[in-house]
Amino acid sequence: MVLLSAPRWLRSRLTDRFWRVQEVLKYARHFRGRKNRCYKLAVQSVRRAFVKTTKARREKKRFLRALWITRIEAASLEHGLKYPAFIGNLLKSQVELNRKMIADLAIYEPKTFKSLAALAQRRRQEGFLAALGDGKEPEGIFSRIVHHY
Amino acid sequence: VAKTSLTSPPWPEVKLPDPVEEAKYHAEVVQKVNEMIATGQYGRLFAVVHFASKQWKITSEDLIMMDNVLEAECGDRIRMEKVLLVGADDFTLIGRPLLGKDLVRVEATVVEKTESWPKINMRFWKRHGYQRKKIIVNPQTVLRINTIEIFPCLS
Repeated sequence: MVLLSAPRWLRSRLTDRFWRVQEVLKYARHFRGRKNRCYKLAVQSVRRAFVKTTKARREKKRFLRALWITRIEAASLEHGLKYPAFIGNLLKSQVELNRKMIADLAIYEPKTFKSLAALAQRRRQEGFLAALGDGKEPEGIFSRIVHHY
Repeated sequence: VAKTSLTSPPWPEVKLPDPVEEAKYHAEVVQKVNEMIATGQYGRLFAVVHFASKQWKITSEDLIMMDNVLEAECGDRIRMEKVLLVGADDFTLIGRPLLGKDLVRVEATVVEKTESWPKINMRFWKRHGYQRKKIIVNPQTVLRINTIEIFPCLS
């Protein structure tokens, strides 16, 4: 005869508790104190660690951009320009390098950075003349906008 | 007339060099650079390329890893077209914003297509019994930059 439901004396007991606990403890092995050994404490620390990495991934972008800006500011001050003048005039002369690239160029290609600073300075002076001279003098050479269509 | 503090404006006076002389100087420089490119007097070239919505500073024999899928098989040669800057030891060519396709040629090969390490995304509110854990695996592509070539067609 076929028994359709299991009898009461048959119990299902957890057999892989060790591996379930190890799954959490493996992320806590490099922590300090009892939270690298005891499961109850490790669960809380590991949870907080994961939440912190997710939030940090979004803040890393802000942090790196601020770092690049600081580096570009330092490099442009070496060439006698302030950061807003440098970036503004580079954008007005249609050079669309982002801050990461300009910071890398300032570190590894100093001559290229010097030429970019000179370009920004010249565009700035042409901007001053255009603003003060009121259009009677000819337009500057570096202020010409290139149309690609 | 005596000079007071208000005779001249407080900002320094800006004078641009003579446009005719400047044009001559520019033409000379362009011709010199063209000659240098034509004779091949440059060492290693570096380029700034806009690729996969990021800007990369690359040289030849360089490895690049992007966090997305490229629709090309492993071993395919790819030409990168959006070049923003090319430089060598003595000269740089700055694009406004891009350099022409007849001026620079950047070739790359797809080396491997893998997945990233499993990143863990977890959200947790305390005292609310809310936690969600998600493992994110991004596809990645690795490219090897073969060559960067420039041609002497400046004007």
